[in-house]
Amino acid sequence: MDFLLLNLIYPRLDVVEIFNLNLYMDFSLLHQNFFKMFLPEVFLATSILILTLYASLVATSKKLGYPLLMKSLGKISLLVLLLTLLIVNNNSINFMIVYQNTFIFDLLTSNVKQILLAATIFCLIISEDTLVRQQINNFEYFILILCAILGLMLLVSSYDMISLYLAIELQSLCLYVLAASKKNSSFSTEAGLKYFILGSFSSALLLFGISVLYGCTGTTNFDNFYLLFSGIDRETFLLTAPVEKALIFIAAAFFFKIAAAPFHMWSPDVYEGSPTSSTIFFAVIPKIALFAVFLRLFQTIFSSFEETFLFALIFFSISSVIVGSFVALRQKKLKRLLAYSSISHVGYMLLAFSANSLEGTQSLFFYLIVYMITSVCIWSVVLSLNTTTNMERSKTLIDLASVSNFNPMLGFTAMLAFFSLAGVPPLVGFFAKMEIFVSALGSSLFFASLIAILSSVISSYYYIRLIKTMYFEKREDNSFVFSVTYPCAFAMGLASFFLLYLFLNPTLLLLLTQKMALCLF
Amino acid sequence: MFFLIDEYFPIFLLLLVSIGLACIILGASYFLGIQRPDTEKTSVYECGFDPYEDSRNKFDVRFYLIAILFIVFDLEALFLFPWAVSLSQIGSMGFWTMMDFLFELTIGFVYVWKIGALEWE
Repeated sequence: MDFLLLNLIYPRLDVVEIFNLNLYMDFSLLHQNFFKMFLPEVFLATSILILTLYASLVATSKKLGYPLLMKSLGKISLLVLLLTLLIVNNNSINFMIVYQNTFIFDLLTSNVKQILLAATIFCLIISEDTLVRQQINNFEYFILILCAILGLMLLVSSYDMISLYLAIELQSLCLYVLAASKKNSSFSTEAGLKYFILGSFSSALLLFGISVLYGCTGTTNFDNFYLLFSGIDRETFLLTAPVEKALIFIAAAFFFKIAAAPFHMWSPDVYEGSPTSSTIFFAVIPKIALFAVFLRLFQTIFSSFEETFLFALIFFSISSVIVGSFVALRQKKLKRLLAYSSISHVGYMLLAFSANSLEGTQSLFFYLIVYMITSVCIWSVVLSLNTTTNMERSKTLIDLASVSNFNPMLGFTAMLAFFSLAGVPPLVGFFAKMEIFVSALGSSLFFASLIAILSSVISSYYYIRLIKTMYFEKREDNSFVFSVTYPCAFAMGLASFFLLYLFLNPTLLLLLTQKMALCLF
Repeated sequence: MFFLIDEYFPIFLLLLVSIGLACIILGASYFLGIQRPDTEKTSVYECGFDPYEDSRNKFDVRFYLIAILFIVFDLEALFLFPWAVSLSQIGSMGFWTMMDFLFELTIGFVYVWKIGALEWE
C-alpha cells in the first residue's frame, strides 16, 4: 500500500518542489535525481541516435556493398526495447515530478510504459516475417518505431501542456511515416497522407484548446491547473465558460487520436492502406498511452469540470459502439473489419471513462490490457493466413475459410480470440466487458449501458460469423498454405494462454489495474 | 485602458516607423530609379519555372525535400539567437541543453547527407 501513502504524503504540493529545477543549481547534483527517473527515456533516445548513425553509415557504404540492415536492426531494436523495459522495471522511486513540473513519474506511468514496451516487442516479433515479405527495405522503419515508442513514453509521463503536445507530435509524426512506409504502393501513400492531414487537424484542435487555457490562466502546467481549479464552484467561477470550451477542444483532439466515432473516418482507411506490419502497431500500441494521459488530464487535473466532458464522453461512447457494431457487419476485408471492431471497443472504453469512478478507471485499464493481448493474438492469426495465391492482396474473410481443417490449432486460437472479443464467458473478454458495464451501472449510466450491451450483442454476430467461416466453410481454391512462423506461434500461444488463465485467476491483472487507477484518484 | 496605451505604445511606434520606412523605400525606388522594362524583367520570378503554366503539372518531389531541410536548419538558427542573447542567465543547464540539441541535429544532418538527400543529381 506504499503508493497510497505516497499519494497522501505528496499530494502534488510543496514537498515535491524540493526536486524542482533551480537554474543556478549545480548541474551534476541536479541530474543525480532526475537522471534516475529519465534513464529509460535517455537510454532509448541515445540508442535511437546511435542506431541512426550506424544505419546511415553502414547502409550507404560502398565497401560493404550497400547491405540491407532490416534483420540486424530488427534484432537490435528488440534488444533496445527489452533493455528499456528492464530499466523501467528496475526503477526504485515511486513518485516524482521533474524538470519544472513538465514530467511526472508515478506507478501509473511506469506500469503503462512497461505494458507499452512489452506490447511493442510482441508486435515487432510477429511482424518480422511480414516485413521481409512486404519488401520494406528501409532501415528507418525500426528507428521510426523506436521514436514512436519514445514519444509514447514521454506522452504518458507528460505533466505540462507543452510536453504533452510535443510528445503527441513526436509519436504521431512517426506513425504517419510508418503508414506510408511502403513507397511503391499507392494505398500506403494514401493512408499516410490521410493520417497526416486528419492527425494534424486534430493536433490543431488540441493546440487551440491549450492556447485558450493559457490565455485564461497564464499557465500550461497541470500542477497549476489542478491547484487553480480544485474546489471551485462551476456556476460562479469567472473562467468557467472559456475553460469549458477549451476542454471540449482538447477532448475532441483526444477522440480524433483514439478514433472514436464520429471522428473515426480515418481509421479504417489507414488500417487498410498501411502495410500490415504498421497496422499492427497502430492497432495495439498508442491507445493505452493516450488513455493514460487523458485520464489524468480529465479525471485528476480538471475534475472540477467533469460535467462538461461527461456528456461528450457518453455521446462519443454510444456513437462509437453503434458505428463499430453496425458498419462492421458489411465489411469484407479483414483489416477494415478489425478497424471497425477497434472503434466499438474504444466505445466500451469510453463508457468506462465516463463512469468517472475508481471502478470505471480500473475496468478501463483492465479492458485495454485484455484488448491488447487479444489484438496481438488476432493480428498474428491475420499474419498467418498466407497461401500461395493470396500473398499479394490484402486478406478478406474468404481467406479464413476452413482454417480449422488445414491448421486446427490456428483455428482454435483464432476462435478463442474472437470469442474473447465478443465477450463469451469462459474467456477474459467477458470479464472485462462485465466489469465495464458494472462500473457504468454503478455511476447510474443506465441508458448508455443498455445501448452498449445491445450493440455488443450485434457485434458478437460478426465475430461468430468469422468463426463460422473458419469452421464450416469450404475453401474454393487449391493453393498451398504457408506454415505459421515461430514468433507468431509463440505470441498466439502466450496470448491464448492469458485469455484463458486471466478468466480463471484475474487477481494479477486486477491488482495491477487497481494500482494504476489509484494514481488518478 | 491606459495600461494598454502604456504597454503597447512602443509597438505602435514600431508599426508607424515600419509602415513609413516601407513607403519611403518602395516610393524612392519607384520614383527615382531608371525604369527600362522588358518581358524578362517584368515576369514573375518563380524558381526556374514558367509562372503561367497549367498548375496541374508534375514537378520534382525534391523541391519539397529541400524546403523541409531548409526549414529544419532555419529553425535551428531561430533557437540559437534567443539562446545566445540569454546565455549569461540560463546557466550550465541552458548551455548543455543547446549543445545536446545541436548534437542531435548534427546526427540528423549526417543521416541526411549519407542517404544522399542533399544531392540534386
